[in-house]
Amino acid sequence: MIIEKFFNKWIMFFLILIPTFGVIFDEPYFITLATKVVILGIAGVGLNLALGYCGLISLGHAAFFGIGGYITGILSFHALNDEVLFSWPLVVFGSSEMLIIWPIVILVSALFSFIIGLLSLRTSGVYFIMITLAFAQMLYFFSISWPNYGGEDGLSIYMRNSFPMLNTMDPLSFYIISLFWFLFSIFISLRLINSPFGMSFQAIKQNEERVKSVGIETFKVKLLVFVISGTITGLAGSLYTDLNRFVSPTVLDWHTSGEIMVFVILGGMARLYGPLVGAAFFIALEQTLGSYTENWQFWLGLILILVILYARSGILGLFDKKLRHEK
Amino acid sequence: MKNKILNIKNLSKSYGAFKVTDEIAIDLNFDEIHALIGPNGAGKSTLIKQIVGSVKHDIGSIVLDQEDITDLNDVERAKIGISRTFQVSSIIPKFSALDNIILSLLDKSKETFQLFKSIRKNKELDAKAKKILREIELSDKSNILASELSHGDRRKLEVGLALAMDPKVFLFDEPMAGLDESGTKMMINLFKKIKTNSPILLIEHDMDAVFALADRVSVINYGKIVATGTVDQIRSNVLVRDVYLGYEI
Repeated sequence: MIIEKFFNKWIMFFLILIPTFGVIFDEPYFITLATKVVILGIAGVGLNLALGYCGLISLGHAAFFGIGGYITGILSFHALNDEVLFSWPLVVFGSSEMLIIWPIVILVSALFSFIIGLLSLRTSGVYFIMITLAFAQMLYFFSISWPNYGGEDGLSIYMRNSFPMLNTMDPLSFYIISLFWFLFSIFISLRLINSPFGMSFQAIKQNEERVKSVGIETFKVKLLVFVISGTITGLAGSLYTDLNRFVSPTVLDWHTSGEIMVFVILGGMARLYGPLVGAAFFIALEQTLGSYTENWQFWLGLILILVILYARSGILGLFDKKLRHEK
Repeated sequence: MKNKILNIKNLSKSYGAFKVTDEIAIDLNFDEIHALIGPNGAGKSTLIKQIVGSVKHDIGSIVLDQEDITDLNDVERAKIGISRTFQVSSIIPKFSALDNIILSLLDKSKETFQLFKSIRKNKELDAKAKKILREIELSDKSNILASELSHGDRRKLEVGLALAMDPKVFLFDEPMAGLDESGTKMMINLFKKIKTNSPILLIEHDMDAVFALADRVSVINYGKIVATGTVDQIRSNVLVRDVYLGYEI
């Protein structure tokens, strides 16, 4: 744990160093890339709570990522076009204010996570994987057949949503916003895993029957973890839409669920900064190998196989182990 | 009826044509250790699972402290005061011994859904857990991962988990299996002490322990209770010798 804390400090250092490098050498692309890593890291932190700490293998987190993304896109689209969002029972307008969009994203993501969790958590194992996948795919196909918001082509929002006293179009400003949410999601995760509630869900991952036998309502615990996890991932989806100024059904596709899961597994399950490291590794591979071959994901697959076979605690776990042996 | 904390009537469970438990009637008095003995496969552990609610029975009723709990699920029964140990040690392997006990204290202390309070700063839970570890003689191993404990220590820890729940009844499924002589002795003394607060339904193959502890003994064979009585009555029961003991004690 002490060694992991040491790594976490280095990760924080890099989170500050990379954008600084981008500013000094006037390379905004680096900042945008770092922002993408941080946002995908938030999605991973969300999934990590369910998957890494509670053992809920959800292949449906794209649903929450996409819901966050689409809410942001739709609200912004209506605001920019000066159209009402709906007129019954109340007249509601869109918004391009992040401070209005985020609470809506949080509420709707939590609501969807609750509904999906309520139904999915009655199953376990492979059935849970399939049912969460099915929910996400339902939303994916719904988004494709929704012409009002671009259908298969997706929805462009032209300008990032605004934040008081910050120019969100400036890469550094948007990076700071994303970093804030990343650190906030880490803070929430840290508090949760060290709480009595966290003790319960970490125990469920190891031996649910025992946890039930001591009177803990495991269904309620898992549902709450799933809701928190989905909400964090939804928020990441919102930031992702703002980053790209575009949202499309791809964010709801099962590939997205798989990618978020890859971040968590690569970086290290049940490690606070694991998803960020996994996302950074993923993006680095995409950028480097992707410039040589279109089939860079073949190599990603190979690395993933090696990680699963030889480094089950992910990249962070690998270094952690190495340092422990050297000490 | 009034001096019975647990009263089971007509409890039956079949898997197809095979009757695992057949119209079981068994009860547990306050301040009592009631041992349940019988050959392997007789239905002892299935009966425990039916009482805790992890296996649904076909017919029958279970009353705990004047309350019919027949329709409650396993978690509700645990909450209402049924605490158990498992035949094969069931602990949280990556938690320390101390954390295992703290986990067991959470529900009773209404702490399970404390989302942001640090578990490490909860002095009350910590003190209670340490007291239980002292009772089961595991104080010196409080920070050792449960998976790294010896088999005997895991059995002790399981009893500690049950103790932490401060239940109305204990259901102990072979708690002394694999314990050395001193461990068994410690367990016998502990059970004698705790039965005054919460009576014990004890499944055990160690006959010396059973006869040292039990106020009453029931013998189960092919899913049926074939005899119930005091230790002396069971010792001298010819049928019991035939089906289980097989020798003169």
